[in-house]
Amino acid sequence: MQERPDANAMASMIGGKQDSVESEYIRFDQLTALVIDDIGAMRHALRSQLQWMGMNSVKCVADAEEALEAIGITRYDLILCDYNLNKASSGQHFLEHLRHEHMLSARTIFVMVTAEAEYAFVANAAEFAPDDYILKPCPEKKLRARLERQFDRRNFLLSALTAMDAKDYPLVVSECERLLALTINERWLLAGLKLKAEAQHAMGDTPGMLKTYEQALALRDNVPWVKIGIARVRLLMNEPAAAEEMAKQIIADNPNYVAAYELLADIRHLEKDDEGAYALMEQSAKILPTAKRFRTTAESAFLLGKLDEAKTLSQSAIKLSGGSMTERPDDYLSLAQIQTDMGDHQAAIQTLEKSARKFEEKGSFGISKNAILAQAYADAGDTAKAKKLLERSQRLLTPESGSAAMNTLGKAAFKTGDHILGLKMLTQAVQSSGEERERIARHVTKSMIDTGQHDKIDEVIDAGQKRILVLVEEAKKSMHVAQFDIAHEKVLEALEIQPDNIEALLGAAQLHLLWLKQEGMDDEVKARAKVYLATLDKLVPHNEKVMGFYRFYNQLTGE
Amino acid sequence: MDQALAVLVVHDIKNSLALLEADLEQLNHRPDMPEEAHKAHQRCIELKNRLISFLTLYKHEQGRLKPNLGEIELSEFLEDMISGSQSVTMAGKHGHSIEVNVAEDRIRIAPGVKHKGIATLDEYLLDLALESALNNAVRYAGSKVDIWFEQDADSVTFFVQDDGPGLTTHETAAEKPSSTGVGLSLCNAVTEAHGGGEVSLANAAGGGALFKIGFGLVG
Repeated sequence: MQERPDANAMASMIGGKQDSVESEYIRFDQLTALVIDDIGAMRHALRSQLQWMGMNSVKCVADAEEALEAIGITRYDLILCDYNLNKASSGQHFLEHLRHEHMLSARTIFVMVTAEAEYAFVANAAEFAPDDYILKPCPEKKLRARLERQFDRRNFLLSALTAMDAKDYPLVVSECERLLALTINERWLLAGLKLKAEAQHAMGDTPGMLKTYEQALALRDNVPWVKIGIARVRLLMNEPAAAEEMAKQIIADNPNYVAAYELLADIRHLEKDDEGAYALMEQSAKILPTAKRFRTTAESAFLLGKLDEAKTLSQSAIKLSGGSMTERPDDYLSLAQIQTDMGDHQAAIQTLEKSARKFEEKGSFGISKNAILAQAYADAGDTAKAKKLLERSQRLLTPESGSAAMNTLGKAAFKTGDHILGLKMLTQAVQSSGEERERIARHVTKSMIDTGQHDKIDEVIDAGQKRILVLVEEAKKSMHVAQFDIAHEKVLEALEIQPDNIEALLGAAQLHLLWLKQEGMDDEVKARAKVYLATLDKLVPHNEKVMGFYRFYNQLTGE
Repeated sequence: MDQALAVLVVHDIKNSLALLEADLEQLNHRPDMPEEAHKAHQRCIELKNRLISFLTLYKHEQGRLKPNLGEIELSEFLEDMISGSQSVTMAGKHGHSIEVNVAEDRIRIAPGVKHKGIATLDEYLLDLALESALNNAVRYAGSKVDIWFEQDADSVTFFVQDDGPGLTTHETAAEKPSSTGVGLSLCNAVTEAHGGGEVSLANAAGGGALFKIGFGLVG
């Protein structure tokens, strides 16, 4: 135990922790906090506690909607959120929503305030765990001690966290490396490694990520996020069996770790075992029921033709998000499509009427809404009405319309007998699906089977794209195991079929950046990387991924 | 909790409330007395803590006290525990000051321990047990209280030692159910919720009283 005091002393020094109460007062003085609690007295109590610590800038809100609004305007240093927000959503749902939508700054510390009965649920939330949780009532001194720990860790990593917020991933990595050499505080080391791995993930640096996770594993062999990280890397490196084993191990140790179920589901999809994937998603939705999880599980059930299950899950998604800022018009469309397919036209029309009161009839929503109505009336035998609705749907179509909307429209066209429009829409849906291609292809396939178009599926889905995607996939697999020459050949073959295919170009750019990073500067590789990046910048301007690649390129080449 | 104890608990709480009421009444007449306000606040905290202890004991006897296990970095935990402890704050305000420290030099970790200085326990229950021991220790301490832990491959034990007169005083206090008695029952409930362990209060070799609470660790 002799190294502990030294570790702490050094950590305190580096973290800027000072012993005098006065300087700590000044430190809290400059922080901003957001308190979320539905009970006025609790808000007041927490606010005074924070103010006694010296925090002058404390905003209090009563629910998740107000909190979202506040977070959209200001970056808070601290969020204190009550677990029990209201009937519809818990603090846990709220946190998961914030993480999914990338609304939380890397510099924000999120602390969940729970009552005893809720504590187990928060503590078990694992991957979506808050930075810390406190049991209420929490005396001021205890709250202060816990917050100081959190801010010490944050301040230690501050430069890297700031770079993370700026999405400057190469800087995150170099800052983490610099800071990690300065401390032997295990918790800070793990936090730094986690951040570094996240940045490497954003850059697509698979071998780097694996190294980082292995470093963390050497430090501690029982941390779930380290293990799930390694499992994800294994999957990227085309070792699904190894990934699957690791994920199963995590579940054996932490039966509530939803991310492990979701990774297993991804692996099942890859192995074409959609039923297996669905069963795993169902489990994860049971453990941590959120609108998003119900939504994806409902989709999975729908694609498998399990309409009863899909309906229940879809209704649960609506129920959980209804009336809140996480409400999505797509949920109503999905439910209406399921109800139409079940032959319950009346219910489908009702669902759409309900949604029409909430959302404006424009864009993809308007297209899909009218297209599903057209399907419902066509199925009910009212062809004239169906045709009218189909025309209305078509009129809303623009070049920017989403693939999902085109799929619904295509299905409606087939049902009303317009085969030419049906084929055109479904082909376009697949072609414009970009990174969502696999998902859209499954929907289009289902639409074609439902409308008796089995014989044309290949023609619609493929249209030259299938081969490109296979090639890009193969290239990525080679890239992840550092076989850059082979990967390059595959990408070139894909670009020969379609020179402006975004997926192929992204793959090519990423491949060349890793090539430079791992095999050193080569003028030819460098020149090619630059061309791919410039092409992408022209085709998809302001794309976040492409901008990230640019920064990576600049860091590598020093340009 | 047998009925006799339950009655005692209710009386105890009623008496504390009466004292709090008297304090508040004073404050009503004389709002310019920070000392009185402080006393009332401390009484309120004590009362609340006692209620939490009783409720925890009650839950345990109903078989419903289940630990929420999480990893605890032990040194860090003890430091936070002291800096957040209300018993320590109160000890500091009672005229003479009592120094409460983590005795770093007494911390011992056996060589075979895999995750050194880290144990999987229910942080809140552990805090509750140690807070009650600390509360007792600062009350009898002369000038200082030490707190530390020892970790072996399959167990972790926490120690709280004061430099007070030792156990004779404590013992008489423990004979009739009192805060010490309830404190020890609470500690026993906490170890039992964790699957067993040992709780003891004895005279320390160098004088003063030594409180021990040990947990068996699995995995």
